[in-house]
Amino acid sequence: MIKVAVSGINAAENPGPGVGIIRSLKESALDVRTIGLAYDAMEPGIYLDNLIDKSYILPYPSGDVKSFIERIKYIHSIEKLDIIISALDAELPVYMDIEDNLLNDGIKMLIPTKKMFSLRNKTNLKPIAESIGLKTPDYFSCTSTGDLHQIIQKIGMPCMIKGPFYEAFKANSIAEAEGFFHKLAAKWGYPIVVQEFVDGQEYDVIGCGDGMGNDLGLFAIKKMTTTSLGKVWNAVSIVNEKLIETSKTLLSHLKWRGGFELEVLIDLKTEDIFLIEINPRFPAWVYMASACGINLPERMVCFLLDQKYENHSNYQNGKIMIRYTNEIMKDISDLEKITSYGELENNPL
Amino acid sequence: MNLERLKSLAISDSGFIFDPSSGNTYNTNATGLKIINYLKEKKDINEIFDLFMESYDVSSEEVEFDINDFIENLINYHLVSNS
Repeated sequence: MIKVAVSGINAAENPGPGVGIIRSLKESALDVRTIGLAYDAMEPGIYLDNLIDKSYILPYPSGDVKSFIERIKYIHSIEKLDIIISALDAELPVYMDIEDNLLNDGIKMLIPTKKMFSLRNKTNLKPIAESIGLKTPDYFSCTSTGDLHQIIQKIGMPCMIKGPFYEAFKANSIAEAEGFFHKLAAKWGYPIVVQEFVDGQEYDVIGCGDGMGNDLGLFAIKKMTTTSLGKVWNAVSIVNEKLIETSKTLLSHLKWRGGFELEVLIDLKTEDIFLIEINPRFPAWVYMASACGINLPERMVCFLLDQKYENHSNYQNGKIMIRYTNEIMKDISDLEKITSYGELENNPL
Repeated sequence: MNLERLKSLAISDSGFIFDPSSGNTYNTNATGLKIINYLKEKKDINEIFDLFMESYDVSSEEVEFDINDFIENLINYHLVSNS
């Protein structure tokens, strides 16, 4: 039995990737015990006893890193973990620092390097993308309306006004841009990003790199509906050769290591591909790819354990992911266990 | 007229169209469906015009307008191109 710990099990209105990753593993051919790593007792994944065998509460990695590492080691002493799949950006830097340490203890991970992780910052992403012939929209960071006006004079209207973490609005006038600037700053802080508007449609590509320039499979979607924070809610699978080839080129150039999501815009007129963002882990819609035959979590686990794995990207277009909300009932004693002891066993060994 | 994109579309008899490359979906009516199928059969606009005139009891102006309007829509949606 393979023991895999997965974070990001906050399957709430803006879900993390963890439950999708775990579902992909449980539906694979692997015999796997799944351990949920949660930061809050009300993360829904903790209570999904059909998917997550046991959950543990972790301290926030932004706090005392030593406590975080000790907790991981404690969990490992109980579970004898084979693999950790990190699904949250905020914890990745810590795992990057301790990956070798964990490997010495027998825990494997496939995560990006610090240099790859820095590509989340668009300043770092743009020159690399352009060096391989990939377009990116111009963007600038600003922390004042004075900056905002200067930037708009450079890139013109319409433009996109984006928060530092989430949300983006299309501004058609200076007044609209100022309104969005203040709204996003009040909610998320600074800097606010002003981005050149590309008249195109949004697409996402999910994949996993082996760290040597190869992919373990790729899968592309068109977003159909999104949440209030712009996250995918419903999507349709597409087969776009140019998009897949572009993704492979980027992956090969970066020698990407681990799961990722590429967010792109395809210009409606020219069909040029604009790279908007690289997210350095699987996205929340990872299960959609698995359900269409591209089970990236399974392939990642097999790769790490030197087992045979598929690496094709053959899937059908026109498959729609319909995400919905649902309810389950649990006893208050489950809440007691996770809050008092920081652990909840759903399926004892 | 470049019909490469048109050939890759999944088109059902109900008039539902899915573009597997872009993920876009469209709905058309029976007339639109006929025009698309004639285009896929490599019929040019004049041939399509003649076929419609044979099949429908409408004025030539109306037929010409409908065909050109529909093809203009196909061009605007990048499903065919003038090349």
